[in-house]
Amino acid sequence: MIEREARFEFQNFFIRYGTIFALFLITVFFSMTAKGFVEIANILNILRQISLLTIISEGFTMCLLIGEIDLSFAQIASLASVISADLMLKGWNPLISVLLSLSVGPLIGLGNGVLVTKIGIPALITTLATGMITGGTVYMYTKGISLYGNMPMSFLNIGRGNIGPLPILVLIMFLFVSLLQIVVNKTKFGKYMRATGENPIAAWLAGINIESYKRLGFILSGSGAAITGVLLTARLGAASPEGATGFLMDGFATALLGQTVFGIGKPTPFGTFIGALIVGTLNNGMTLLGAPYYIQDITKGIIIILSVSATSLQKKKIERR
Amino acid sequence: MIILKTENLSKEFPGVLALDNVNFDLEEGEIHGIVGENGAGKSTLVKILAGVFPPTRGKIYLYGKELHSHSPRELINIIGFVDQERELIPSFTVIENLFLGNEIVQGGFLKNRELQEKAKTFLKNYNVNLDLLALTRNLSPGQQQMLTIMKVLFRKPKIIIFDEPTASLSVKEIEIFNRLIEELRASKVSIIYISHRLSEVLSFANRITVLRNGKKVVTVRANEVSEKDLIRYMIAKDIHEQYPKIKKEIGDKIFEVKNYANKKYGFNNINFYIKSGEIVGFAGLVGSGRTELAKLIFTGDRNSVGKIIFLSKEFIPKGPKDSINKGIVMIPEKRREEGIILGMSVKDNLALPYLDILSIGGFLKEQAINKRSLFLINSFNIKLASPLQLVYTLSGGNQQKVSVAKWLGERKINLWIFDEPTQGIDVETKTEIYLFMENLAKNGAGVWFISSDLNELLAISDRIYVMNKHKIVGEFSPPYNREMILSKMLGG
Repeated sequence: MIEREARFEFQNFFIRYGTIFALFLITVFFSMTAKGFVEIANILNILRQISLLTIISEGFTMCLLIGEIDLSFAQIASLASVISADLMLKGWNPLISVLLSLSVGPLIGLGNGVLVTKIGIPALITTLATGMITGGTVYMYTKGISLYGNMPMSFLNIGRGNIGPLPILVLIMFLFVSLLQIVVNKTKFGKYMRATGENPIAAWLAGINIESYKRLGFILSGSGAAITGVLLTARLGAASPEGATGFLMDGFATALLGQTVFGIGKPTPFGTFIGALIVGTLNNGMTLLGAPYYIQDITKGIIIILSVSATSLQKKKIERR
Repeated sequence: MIILKTENLSKEFPGVLALDNVNFDLEEGEIHGIVGENGAGKSTLVKILAGVFPPTRGKIYLYGKELHSHSPRELINIIGFVDQERELIPSFTVIENLFLGNEIVQGGFLKNRELQEKAKTFLKNYNVNLDLLALTRNLSPGQQQMLTIMKVLFRKPKIIIFDEPTASLSVKEIEIFNRLIEELRASKVSIIYISHRLSEVLSFANRITVLRNGKKVVTVRANEVSEKDLIRYMIAKDIHEQYPKIKKEIGDKIFEVKNYANKKYGFNNINFYIKSGEIVGFAGLVGSGRTELAKLIFTGDRNSVGKIIFLSKEFIPKGPKDSINKGIVMIPEKRREEGIILGMSVKDNLALPYLDILSIGGFLKEQAINKRSLFLINSFNIKLASPLQLVYTLSGGNQQKVSVAKWLGERKINLWIFDEPTQGIDVETKTEIYLFMENLAKNGAGVWFISSDLNELLAISDRIYVMNKHKIVGEFSPPYNREMILSKMLGG
């Protein structure tokens, strides 16, 4: 019987800290096997590599928070990316170009939100369609050609420069994560979004305007995507119509992993950051080991199933009570 | 002959000992009642017996043989379990739910005609009238409950566990249910019967086991105890008054509905009023329209016509937020689905309606929130380990307290709508909720009180409206004529 209790504790530990433990194991594994993995330069490199993924996934996390889903964020990032590149190549003022291209995020997000809340189309269908429309627009806008050339240094610096030892992209990422973490935990907007996602009917009967908080979730998701798109252009000094499409799968993986971090299956900005660290560390370590990309995909898939199973088992238990 | 027995059965959930060394036995052909307050461990005990989850310690013997790990699948034909939460698939028809997992097939195809014949005779045997091809989601809660019971009976189990089977049944359905229990008794089926309705348990059961705080208090023969004895076993201290009454002054009309109609929901010519300081009861059968009417008025609906006067001004309902801001709140019947947010903490649930006031520029005033939630937890006597506990871990009665307590605060609320506030909760908490309602009225609010428990309705209400088929068919003042009220409720 004592044995049984001990096992129970062990199980709890895994459910609560399993994801962080997985990150720890992955780190230990690569530090022993991959040469150069633990060097400070490489750690900064990992952080810079995950900065864009983190930002786009954080936006998507806000959509998960209100209990909806967004399939359009990668396309929104592509659109913001090509608009910013195009305007600057045409010689527009960098600040105006950035602001204009950022605005597509909240706009398309608002569109998603209105279609879901006012017309009642399920989010999966809405965002699949608006994602396709946005993706098509990107091709129409660029005629399928990558955009590159001379962009202002002030703009490129955002993507490439450092402040002290830290890349600016990493600073923006930390800023974004902290900001959302505060919004979710310390403001009424965060509590209302969470309540809306957990139980829309109870939230509505408690006097919360659930429709506007749903729209806010979509707007934040679109905004995170547009920011990511603009930063992508700044980092590459170019924009391609396909540039951000890879963020869809990795963004989902990151946010879903992130939900497991505190063991309760709830979306949190900090959790999503841990999710991005896991995905980024895996990508980096396996590249250092020289693993082919398909092995990377397979490994990521397995890690997702393992960490999500822990919390899903926990959820199952709760539902049976 | 004893067919089911437990030895020192215990169950621990993180931080809670839900069941503590319980020895329980069930004889063949007996009806064994289990009573106790919410959180006493009744549901935990039967869920272990039904194999929903394993015990932490202790042994279970079935026909004298020890059961090791078991799951509902293995025992489904021996132990049937009619759960509190109806486990039906809403988008399936009655017949599909009835046969779920038990389909008659030939070469992978359903034999529909045979299934229908079988279902018809089966339901007729038990005098249950259900449209076999109706979608389950279109059934009333009572009909769904009957379907759940039929689904379990269909497997002809030797032992049947009922957990609050009559909570959602209408008067007529309860009659059918009572006959069904007698038939089961006659055919030597053993029954474990959980209910908060003590009179029901006393009339059915051969023996009754009382649980309190996860421990067994006593097992007694039903013909040797009274309802009062049971209540004394269930709670540590004696309660003098189950239905407290406070002296209060009834003032002017604060809420009046004139010629209200809503074609879509079948309401026509509805007239009633509630005075300040008055608890107005709404009696009626399940499906008589009491909940719908309250919900329509609280949440607003474009199809509504008629005039509503609230605090001497015309009130046009625009939605919950607007109603709350004007001073009307509703404590909904389905507390788990509508009253609280199960996956959020007690503290967050309590703060939710007041975050506007409890924040500056959107930022939460943590100190004020903590202070208020501690105050509410103490004054409502909500039993918990920590305010940060997720609310689903509380017992039903404590969940209901959260659903009610969250509305108390700086906002002036003049009309409180309580929809079945005491359904499925323990005696002690019920009394606390009556007292709360009385105090609201004493402080000048109007209370709109919907209940299917006629005893409490007659005891607490200052005036009663009876609804039947979406109409108000009677208005009564004390002293109440119980028979008249009942006949209005049932009247065709």
